[in-house]
Amino acid sequence: MTNKEIAIFTLDALKNAGADHAQCVVTTGFSEEIDADNGEFTKMISLFDGGISMKAIKNGKKGTIFINSLSEDEIVKAAKDCVTAAEASVEDDAVRIAELTENKSFTCGVLKPDKEKFFFRIKEYLDEIKRTYPEIVIEQLVADYSYADTIFMNSNGVEYDYKNGYYSISPMFSAHDGEKTTSFNYFGLSFNNLDESLIELAGQRDIFEQTVKQLGAEPFEGKFEGQAVIVPSCLGDFISMALGNFVSDSTIIDGTSPWRHKLGQKVASDCLTLSANPLDECMVSGERVTDDGYISENYDIVKNGVLESFCLSDYAARKTGESRAKNSSGCYVVKTGDKSLDEIIRSTEKGILVCRFSGGSPAINGDFSGVAKNSFLIENGKITKPVTETMISGNIAAMFMNISAISKESICDGSSKLPWVRFDGITVSGK
Amino acid sequence: MLNDLLKNHISGIPEHAELRAQINTNRGVSIVSGNLVSNIRSESSGVSARVYKNGVWGFAAKGEYSDEAIKDVLNAARNNADFLNTHAGRGKPPLVGVQPPNNPLKRDFIDVPQSAYIDFCRQLDDYIATKYTNLASRTVMARADSMEKLLYVSDGGFSHAIMPRAYIYVILSAETADGDTVELFEVINGGEGYFSELYNNIDECYKEIDNLYEELMKKREGIFPNAGVSEVVLDAALAGMLAHEAVGHTVEADLVMAGSVASKNLGREVASEKITMIDFAHTALGEKAPLPLYVDEEGTPCEDAVLIKNGILVGYMHDRESAMHFEVKPTGNARAHKFSDEPLIRMRNTAILPGKDKLSDLIASIDNGYYLTRTQNGQADTTGEFMFGITMGYEIKNGKLGRALRDTTISGVAFEMLKTVDMISDEMVWSSSGYCGKKQLMPVSMGGPSLKCKVNIGGR
Repeated sequence: MTNKEIAIFTLDALKNAGADHAQCVVTTGFSEEIDADNGEFTKMISLFDGGISMKAIKNGKKGTIFINSLSEDEIVKAAKDCVTAAEASVEDDAVRIAELTENKSFTCGVLKPDKEKFFFRIKEYLDEIKRTYPEIVIEQLVADYSYADTIFMNSNGVEYDYKNGYYSISPMFSAHDGEKTTSFNYFGLSFNNLDESLIELAGQRDIFEQTVKQLGAEPFEGKFEGQAVIVPSCLGDFISMALGNFVSDSTIIDGTSPWRHKLGQKVASDCLTLSANPLDECMVSGERVTDDGYISENYDIVKNGVLESFCLSDYAARKTGESRAKNSSGCYVVKTGDKSLDEIIRSTEKGILVCRFSGGSPAINGDFSGVAKNSFLIENGKITKPVTETMISGNIAAMFMNISAISKESICDGSSKLPWVRFDGITVSGK
Repeated sequence: MLNDLLKNHISGIPEHAELRAQINTNRGVSIVSGNLVSNIRSESSGVSARVYKNGVWGFAAKGEYSDEAIKDVLNAARNNADFLNTHAGRGKPPLVGVQPPNNPLKRDFIDVPQSAYIDFCRQLDDYIATKYTNLASRTVMARADSMEKLLYVSDGGFSHAIMPRAYIYVILSAETADGDTVELFEVINGGEGYFSELYNNIDECYKEIDNLYEELMKKREGIFPNAGVSEVVLDAALAGMLAHEAVGHTVEADLVMAGSVASKNLGREVASEKITMIDFAHTALGEKAPLPLYVDEEGTPCEDAVLIKNGILVGYMHDRESAMHFEVKPTGNARAHKFSDEPLIRMRNTAILPGKDKLSDLIASIDNGYYLTRTQNGQADTTGEFMFGITMGYEIKNGKLGRALRDTTISGVAFEMLKTVDMISDEMVWSSSGYCGKKQLMPVSMGGPSLKCKVNIGGR
């Protein structure tokens, strides 16, 4: 059966099992992965998989189920299970499926991988790192091509299909020199072609150079309140922490978000515009259809410091009387500023360049603390020394109100596009 | 349950090969402040093959379990091993052999109906809503998962096993006098087994919720600790996290080969002589380990991996390949989470062993410090530098507990911090509800006693 035939069969099975409203997402796809450990190729992986997510609503009660089998018998069994789960659930008027607007098809990226060329690019990448950064050990490299063919259908007649494929790499690495070892670092990036050497993508050379400089890292003594310049590959963690605490389903539904009643009000410095933009041209295979079955659109979460939108699912929006988010992608974009990174560093009197953050979940009010990994002290406008065992702490809501600079430069890793951002009022403590 | 289709396909393969069929199930219910926001069931199944050739591996998996799918994944795995061997061969010798295990299935799969999770969670939610009206929010969640694995290895190993787990999680939050909100989280009982076996006495859960609420009320009046290095008692609930995150990952042999701090310290003193740490396979301190494992995904019989003995680093956790590299016996630590995952070196039941001191004596011995009792998460580096989020604790003044603490973070370097341990309690507390993340997720358990030591504590 084609994916569409499977989807139609699944909706029929859900209706036959007693669902008043039904929704399904059918995906088939494959991936080809090549892994290296300690700079040497060690394994090659092929995965052929798919699955069906089903949602049934019966008497205002919802059940959901996922199976990765596409056989008719398993679909019928799962559809019955899904409706049984709905029957056991609680009636809730906020539970719905998407209304029909305009059905569409989307195609993105690389639909067929070039295995030989991908292997060549990965080998070239590992060789270049060995040659240029001999202290760097690539502890693990996962290089992957993924293809997915997805169809979304529901009993209101909504139908979207999306075919996409892309390449990605995720290296984890550290620097070594005799007995000296740095903390590990890592990043991930995705891309749509193999035209360029992989080392040249997304500012990786800076990250490898910084890691080598970490070989001299030492703890520093004392504690100060200063500025934290957060690099793009780390900024995403802070954004995710903030949005999780302040604008996500659970904290808006239970009312514990400090931003619960701040729509249209200032929640950040004027220079901050934070958007979720899966349709941005640098995003690789960005979301085209939301989890709830609406066509994805770019939207601003914070614009010029003002809270424009929560990041709510359709259910949470109905539950709280707010608007649903226009996409569910997490493709975050921070608008670039007017100073170069160099100018930002030169104008920083006392602070820290935070290259990775290892911290726990922040408290509900946004208080956080954690270890600034792979990081450097900034003193009198200069990056002075790499540090280890250094903690930073503050409050994320306060951080957003205390942004003193955003760089002109930004990095797109295929799933976010972020600049360097300087936050004031961060507590930095050493040993 | 899995039928045995693999047996007929394993013979006659010239290279070392593993065939594995697997089913993973997940059940989830979440009630947030009375709203059933999540009601989920999922099932993922399929077959995989892995083939070793001259130091490289080919792996393939398919979300289907049939004779045809088995042939497909075996061919794809062999082709992948050939491709990599041709393009980047390592010229390594064949893997070391192991005593082939024969481990037949010992328990059945029980599919607990979704209504059982929902009804139980709703009763707990009603209890909280009725009894504790001054909360800012409440969340009750039930989670259950299971992994059924059928394995054949070309050198004769066979295993068919199933590991189910079920847990209830409760999160309560309350407003403080200064307008902030504080939160506490607790895993309410649970463990290895099925939900219907583990949760048949709701009164026991009510008691746990009452304790959680009392602690939350103390935290509401809590203070922030002073930042800096401090003498602390890490409660037994935290020692397992220390064992797993701060030390455990650095002694996984694949990370040792990548240059972790443990690579330079084998045979050296890395902790106080009071510290002994073991990754248990299936039996710990004379009892069944929380998540017992008898055969790993390479067909190696699981044995305990003794990591630190009386303060000396004495060993690592191994799969067959790393054991060959270090010329030791494999410990059976090769684990895969789903049918589509390849085996990696993973922890099982990792613990610091208890000592002879009483917890009350640990606290009484500190003039000015902290007793840290709850953690929600932790991360560590291959250098051994670690951080844990602390969600509950108390001041210690002149050997007595004082005011409660609000959320903070502790950090340190494992092999330095463990040398500061000078008292160890005689308790043993296990936790098995979490997942470890290392490319794939993996259910693991961790445990230990209370420790008196020095750590860097974050503050405001």
